Amino acid sequence: MTTVVNPPRLTASTVTNANLRRNRKGRQFVKWVTSTDHKTIGYMYLITSFSWFLIGGILALMLRAELTRPGLQFFSNEQYNQIFTMHGTIMLLLFATPVFVGFANVIMPLQIGAADVAFPRLNMMSYWLYLFGGIMAFAGFLSPGGAASFGWTAYAPLSNSQFSPGIGGDLWVMGLALGGLGTILSGVNFITTIFTMRAPGMTMFRMSIFSWNVLLTSILVLLAFPPLAAAFLGLESDRLFGSHIFDPANGGAMLWQHLFWFFGHPEVYILAIPFFGIASEILPVFSRKPIFGYKGLIAATIAISALSVSVWAHHLFATGQVLLPFFSFMTFLIGVPTGVKFFNWIGTMWRGSITFETPMLWTMGFLITFLFGGLTGIILASPPLDFAVSASYFVVAHFHYVLFGTVVFTMFGGFYFWWPKMTGKMLNERLGKIHFWMTFFGFHLTFLIQHWLGIKGFPRRYPDYLPTDGFTFMNEVSSVGAALLAASMIPFFINIWITRKSPMVGVDDPWGYGASLEWATSCPPPRHNFTSMPRIRSERPAFDLHHPHIKTEGH
Amino acid sequence: MKTSYRLFFVLMIFYFVTAVIYYFTGGEAVGITAITLSGALAGLICFYMWYSNRRIANVLPEDNEVGEISDGAGELGFYSPHSWWPLPVAIFACVSGLGLIIGWWLTFIGVGGLLISILGFVTEYERPVSSQSAH
Amino acid sequence: MPLVPRSSRSRRGFTLAIIAPLLIGLTSCAKVSGLGYKEGLSSVNDTTLPLWQGAWITAGIVGIFTAVLILWPAIFHRKKDDEFPRQTQYHIPIEVAYTIIPFIIVAVLFAYTARDESRITNKSPVGVMHDISVNAMQWSWQFTYPEAGPNATITGTPQQRPVLYLPQGERIRFDLTSSDVVHGFWIPAFMIQLQNLPGVTNHLEFTANKLGDYPGRCNILCGRDHSLMQFTVRVVTPTQYQDYITTLKASQS
Repeated sequence: MTTVVNPPRLTASTVTNANLRRNRKGRQFVKWVTSTDHKTIGYMYLITSFSWFLIGGILALMLRAELTRPGLQFFSNEQYNQIFTMHGTIMLLLFATPVFVGFANVIMPLQIGAADVAFPRLNMMSYWLYLFGGIMAFAGFLSPGGAASFGWTAYAPLSNSQFSPGIGGDLWVMGLALGGLGTILSGVNFITTIFTMRAPGMTMFRMSIFSWNVLLTSILVLLAFPPLAAAFLGLESDRLFGSHIFDPANGGAMLWQHLFWFFGHPEVYILAIPFFGIASEILPVFSRKPIFGYKGLIAATIAISALSVSVWAHHLFATGQVLLPFFSFMTFLIGVPTGVKFFNWIGTMWRGSITFETPMLWTMGFLITFLFGGLTGIILASPPLDFAVSASYFVVAHFHYVLFGTVVFTMFGGFYFWWPKMTGKMLNERLGKIHFWMTFFGFHLTFLIQHWLGIKGFPRRYPDYLPTDGFTFMNEVSSVGAALLAASMIPFFINIWITRKSPMVGVDDPWGYGASLEWATSCPPPRHNFTSMPRIRSERPAFDLHHPHIKTEGH
Repeated sequence: MKTSYRLFFVLMIFYFVTAVIYYFTGGEAVGITAITLSGALAGLICFYMWYSNRRIANVLPEDNEVGEISDGAGELGFYSPHSWWPLPVAIFACVSGLGLIIGWWLTFIGVGGLLISILGFVTEYERPVSSQSAH
Repeated sequence: MPLVPRSSRSRRGFTLAIIAPLLIGLTSCAKVSGLGYKEGLSSVNDTTLPLWQGAWITAGIVGIFTAVLILWPAIFHRKKDDEFPRQTQYHIPIEVAYTIIPFIIVAVLFAYTARDESRITNKSPVGVMHDISVNAMQWSWQFTYPEAGPNATITGTPQQRPVLYLPQGERIRFDLTSSDVVHGFWIPAFMIQLQNLPGVTNHLEFTANKLGDYPGRCNILCGRDHSLMQFTVRVVTPTQYQDYITTLKASQS
């Protein structure tokens, strides 16, 4: 059934590996820095974004340390503001968004049978913009006034030069504007690649769900990041040149909130949708069944993409200046396709033949966690209920449930799942399971009780509280959870270290039931991805190749 | 490839309808503008995909339900093997941004370097035109 | 029918890991019927609390139903042999059902929401008995009682948090302003908040119905001493409120 075809002609040579011992490290560095290979660039994105995850996590530990007991033990109010501002900025814009770009870069071209992305050098340029922009934003910590301290949401006029003087704020704005440019260019790259570089027979409705989700996420990037860039440039103009774009006298306070959240809400779908895609890849493999309701999933994701530009003002319910019924209706509505996806995932597992290797365990963790986070989101979609708990720890709990639950759990699932594809080696299963359970317990111990904290009246972004407030016990519990969460990284690091010297898997599909096309090439793939490609007649070309006797109804 | 322009068509219609509803239910300037422009962006991409697709008479191999891998045989295109240019382009873009903060002198350096790097990036794989061929 | 468990210990452990935190959360919630809020404290509570309870009950039912559906295959559809399971790719009736049913659920939630939000945000100038201006600034609050004169303002400081006096059972109209950045006027126990936006005057109306002291906190990040921007809401009898107004009037002359 396999057809061996003309290998893509390499039209230029790769760097020769003359193996001069003196220059090997140098050559390797140059090879990476000048790379135009989507896989290498993807690895750079994954490594850099994971590093930011660790840095953001350390900032979180600092926050939790301060909050454990009443009284300011470690930081001043101003320092605390800088810490949570950078924690949010790093986690959302320097970790979660780039980790989507990383996975999309590594996996999507393989899944559609392309030799690379449409614009390989632009791809690399986007990475550099991300790296340098991120460093710029973080460099505020080195300035005398410290890093930006107005929250990752940077509400005007708090974020202007009068209320937040110092170059920390300027570095933050410009660094993120540049990084945002990189993200927009990546979005362009992915859309073009998916539309123009699929392999023969790989029709749009045979593409894997992950690749579909990369496409739809990239469209959201094109819609959401330009308003953010506009808002940032306006803010920077106010800060540096004394313009009055966000002057409160001109309605600047509301203008900023609208512009920011018009970006901010699609942004959370930009974060969620690719990882929904990863879950949609892992579940069929470990259930040994196709993804349930393929077309329904795509329709649901399109609905989410469409609706996500019409819900932003649910972040502005408490301003008293927005159309409550319109936005609450749209927000409730967007819960429906999200729920549909849940049932599609359940349907994939249903009456399957399930095994719980580590990627599957992570995906289960995602399902349970995101379920709870989604439900608290429905609570928040109702303005009267939002009036009770907005800007409190209830919201902090909600968004950590949906974001950590989706991004982090499925990110680790994706790591364990695609590690053999990327490196040729399997990560250790036992350490992986320990990693999962520690993360799972650590996460819920940290964040479940924060719902209650918010209901009891503890606001967001408070470094401190009084002993008489009654918040102490809950904060102590949450901090213990945070310590466990931090410790949960240790098995992962040990795992990566000890598998350096593991044997190569040697096969195309070490899991045995891989469906999408990346499992039909070697682990790791060659420079331009495929030396031979199977015939594509369904959304599971690798599965059809490896299990030809199992009938798959084509689309 | 019909799916591409159909997808953007659906999005365009949805965004324009939403903008109209938002306008008539008393929405505000930012939202009306932003949703309308989102519709316009979707429309722009839809038009481009439709227009490009019109001129392709046959079914492309990737859209062919019974496409064989050998249909895509032959040269896939030029893939840059490695390149130094993305790095200076990004560096000078960041230097230009940093210059807004640090001082105009840095912006000048940044913009200058940026122009040179963009030029280098774009012309990296151009070959010199021989004097005998027509322009 | 349940299959022979492959590793019942890990299965039990897994189920317990999910149920235990939920139970802990739920039992602590169940102690107070208001799921964290008290009945009758304010007119807002009267409207919002039933919606809060209803929403949580719905969320609980949907959540437990879905969680069971997720865990069921994890426990009962485990791999038992090398047979491939039936490769079902779609089932239109079920897919339609699980699109329509969630739509109905959110439609119902929206109906109650729309009714309640208009009740809360409704401005009824006729029913309002008192006006109070709340001006937020970095980093405390100013409460102005026009009945005691246009300059009857008490200004708090981070160290000396101001007290907002409210008469029991009488509807108040609040005018919210800000001298500098965006602040958040939040009274957690009354399930209500509204932002103080510079350049805008926001309006809020409600009635406080139970005597007592309740914390009020700024909940929109407003700079260095954001967490020190707190106040106390003191609900007093109408007579005591009038006494307070008289005192304010007197202190101005």
